[in-house]
Amino acid sequence: MLDIFDYDFMQRAFVVGVALSLLTALLGSFIVLKRYAMLPDALSHIALLGVGIGLVTHSSPIYMPIFVAVIAGIAIEYLRYKKKLYSDAILSIFLSGALAMAIVLINLSDGFNASLFSYLFGSITAVSDEEMGITVIFTLFALIILLGSYRQMLFVTLDEETAQASGINVFWLNLMLVVLSAVTVALSMRIVGILLIGALMVLPISTALLYKENFLKTVVIAIIFSIVSVISGLFISFYLAISSGAAIVLVALSFFILSLFINI
Amino acid sequence: MPIIQLQGLDYQVANQVILQNISFDIHQGDYVALLGPNGGGKTTLIKLLLGLLTPTKGEIKIFNIDQKSFTKCNKIGYVPQNVSLFDSNFPLSVYETVSLGLAAKKSWFSFLTKIEREQIDAAMDTASISHFKDKNLSELSGGQRQRVMIARALVSQPEILILDEPSTGVDIVTQKKFYQFLKHLNREKKLTIIFITHDLGVIADDVNYVLAVNQKLVFAGTSEEMLSCESVSELYGTKSHIVHHHCRGHEC
Repeated sequence: MLDIFDYDFMQRAFVVGVALSLLTALLGSFIVLKRYAMLPDALSHIALLGVGIGLVTHSSPIYMPIFVAVIAGIAIEYLRYKKKLYSDAILSIFLSGALAMAIVLINLSDGFNASLFSYLFGSITAVSDEEMGITVIFTLFALIILLGSYRQMLFVTLDEETAQASGINVFWLNLMLVVLSAVTVALSMRIVGILLIGALMVLPISTALLYKENFLKTVVIAIIFSIVSVISGLFISFYLAISSGAAIVLVALSFFILSLFINI
Repeated sequence: MPIIQLQGLDYQVANQVILQNISFDIHQGDYVALLGPNGGGKTTLIKLLLGLLTPTKGEIKIFNIDQKSFTKCNKIGYVPQNVSLFDSNFPLSVYETVSLGLAAKKSWFSFLTKIEREQIDAAMDTASISHFKDKNLSELSGGQRQRVMIARALVSQPEILILDEPSTGVDIVTQKKFYQFLKHLNREKKLTIIFITHDLGVIADDVNYVLAVNQKLVFAGTSEEMLSCESVSELYGTKSHIVHHHCRGHEC
């Protein structure tokens, strides 16, 4: 049964999956509570633009999406916080604009191929050693930053204005959250897929919120749901030969529906 | 020496005048009501005091330091508007909420020290919320949430407490208890308090200083002076009559 781990690609998928599930649950907690749940979706479509640029310019399929997502993330936060534009409108503009540009670039390259399909829906065989290394290092880095700043980040998430009045640098903390999310989304697209990464960031915390616990317990519950969803999804993906992203998201969705009934 | 000094303060947004030529001083221990009609610039004035907005012209000094250079933010506690309408799904316990008042002065990767935990307990005791410290905010009434937010503002041991319409969204009994609590903080804890209110009746008994703003500073003085028909009429731009009721020998 457990010969699944005899495959190198599955070992990599599990390492990357667990690391990213931890990170997406933590980042997702702040993002959802800030009413910013569209951010991961916008960033994932922006990362697709990075894939498109990578296909046309034959540059790195790992670094180009990260680079494009981070630049766009900074622009989104600048427009939202400094220019006071509506966040849902900005996200919608970036999402559709990036998707349109990505489609044009993909048309200009070899068009739709199997590799692109794996970016859209996730593939357990797609994770390379290099991606695994980057993901693990980045996860450790991001966890240190998030745990270190969690109190300030929580205050900003609850009430930006009062946090700023108390002396917290709200703009930099928001920027940090968006940049960490951009890199996480770009790294997650191989295993979860561009079209489904938003769900992995939003579902675990939405499920945890149904249990009406305090913040720390809610985040721990979200992390547990996230890790279990990813591990179960990878098993299902392997044995049923279906897209890993879809399997992971369906498990996470099942937890949400189950929790909804438990907490009625 | 005043602890807050405003001199010739203007604030404009895209050539629209929000506040014009505002000057006043606030001293240690003052209990100040900030009155004015909707859109008169009260909240803007509070945000300028807190450094959330930058004045177009004029000067703000806090503890004799220019607002732009003022970094001791823990000396000012702030309770924002609509606390009672707070997002009820936010998963935060009372204790967690109050502890956020120390977030700004905590360095990264640091846990709460014993002294800080005592500060949190003391702030919760002052606000009489210790008995439900493990409850989530979603389980509290509007009045209880107000006290939690005040405890959060008090935990950094401020010398000035600023509240933006603290009585919005709560019933009249809760309002009355709440203003008694503010009076206690002012009289017993020697806290300088500035609060925005629309409730003229509230200011009559307790506050020692009233500021009335409608783009300009319409009035600065005692509550007795403010409650003359002329001041109220000038502030709200309509004819007003003040009626005093007396119940069992007390004004109410």
